[in-house]
Amino acid sequence: MAILIKQVELSWLDRTYVWPILKGMAITLGHFFRQLFTPTAKRFTIQYPEMKKEMPEGYRGLHELKRFEDGSVKCVACFMCAEACPARCITIEAEEFSDLNLTQGFEEKRPKRFEIDLLRCIFCGMCEEACPKDAIWLRKDYELVGVDREGMRYGKWDLLNTYAGLDGKPVLTTDPKPSTPSRKEVACS
Amino acid sequence: MPTLAHLLHLSPETLWMVAKVLIVFGGPFTLASLLTWVERRGAAMIQDRIGPNRAALFGKWRLLGLPQIAADGIKAFLKEDLVPPHVNKLVFWVAPLLTFLPAVMGFAIIPFGQSFVSGGQTYHLSLLDPGNGMGMLYPLAIGSMAVYGVLTAAWSSNNKWSILGGMRASAQMVSYEIGMSLAVITVFMRAGAYDPHLIIQAQLGLWNVLPQFLGFLVFTTCMFAETNRLPFDFAEGEAEIVAGYLTEYGSMKFALMYLSEYVHMVTASALIVTLYFGGWRVPFVADPGVWLSVLAFVIKLLCFCWLFIWIRWTLPRFRYDQLMKFGWKVMLPLSMANFLIHAFLMFKGA
Repeated sequence: MAILIKQVELSWLDRTYVWPILKGMAITLGHFFRQLFTPTAKRFTIQYPEMKKEMPEGYRGLHELKRFEDGSVKCVACFMCAEACPARCITIEAEEFSDLNLTQGFEEKRPKRFEIDLLRCIFCGMCEEACPKDAIWLRKDYELVGVDREGMRYGKWDLLNTYAGLDGKPVLTTDPKPSTPSRKEVACS
Repeated sequence: MPTLAHLLHLSPETLWMVAKVLIVFGGPFTLASLLTWVERRGAAMIQDRIGPNRAALFGKWRLLGLPQIAADGIKAFLKEDLVPPHVNKLVFWVAPLLTFLPAVMGFAIIPFGQSFVSGGQTYHLSLLDPGNGMGMLYPLAIGSMAVYGVLTAAWSSNNKWSILGGMRASAQMVSYEIGMSLAVITVFMRAGAYDPHLIIQAQLGLWNVLPQFLGFLVFTTCMFAETNRLPFDFAEGEAEIVAGYLTEYGSMKFALMYLSEYVHMVTASALIVTLYFGGWRVPFVADPGVWLSVLAFVIKLLCFCWLFIWIRWTLPRFRYDQLMKFGWKVMLPLSMANFLIHAFLMFKGA
């Protein structure tokens, strides 16, 4: 079936073209002055290095490994995230440790190495969903840069501290010392 | 003036000529480069954007993005001056000059202020003094020369897009020149002279724009066509022919072509102001004096330059057949009608 194009009958005023052009010019001038007198903060354009876009809730940006109040890693190295990851970008090496403080309870596993290759990561958030301990979050940082491929492999300490500055937490470089002797040591003595 | 001339061992006439050459050459040139900034920022504002505001002097003073002009200039100079192997080298090099010179030369006749008397001598504020016998025919003739620049650039580029753009531009310029000339003839007829000084003199009290509004519309439209600006941007229709006659040009040669468009715009605005808006005349002031008259002229000039930019970001480009139809079937009859009406009125003694 042929498509019928609706023919618009122009009035004599429109056919002079002068009046419609003037109307168009009024529109553009209106935009000009509106934009000219809008303060920079309210314009559509975000002046990037000075202003940053507030990401919406649920935005999946750079990962953070969560920690307890005392600074120890929430992750129990269960490998669920590594299994769930469709891009296979998470590498975990587990280690045993003992820390009988109140927050963690028993002798547990924790990651010795927890590495995300951010060049492979597709920021799908599956790791966050898979995690039984809520230990990995994808948060709102989107400014991910690196000078080489190695630099984009974020290790355990990088991931623990990615949002430290933003949240006003101390930057960690070592696991906190176990507050009580481990069960193994007790058993030995 | 005479003291300064004496100090420089020059006659006052020579000194005045040198000063005028500097003003007439430097003025439109500076204004044109400023207009590139106005165009970019203005376009941005019209489109709810911000525009170039990052270039800064010594990395510190942004000055609303004005250093962008300097940055662009430096960039254009430092770029590799590539001449493609398939072009006609000589013509390819000459073409930017042929585009640029007519654009600057057109301004020579425009009186940009009231003439004044100093030390028993009359100084005229236009490069060519009144009574040179060329009058307003001179900028029209020079303006028509601009088509050679476009056409040689297109022809020498040895490129299909270039030649298409060049042919379109020349066809358009030639078509619109007729309507424009008839509109101008009406002004000459009413003023009884074609010297710009006399035309401005005739506009004392009532500017030409009111009695000859039709002529003003036609002339302004034709000026848009002459300067190859939107909506008559056929020489470089990006969507169809890449960049038209500019396709093969790069670095400073491109910058010169690009700048000449803006110089052309300044000259066209000056022509509109002189012919229809009383040149340097100030409303309700019969004898404004030098400074006020120059100021009035510059303000009017800037208004029309802004009009050129404003229209560009309002109207889309015509189709080629629409352009030709518009030129021959609308513009020409309109200017003819304007001419005949005024001829009839003058015959009746009005």
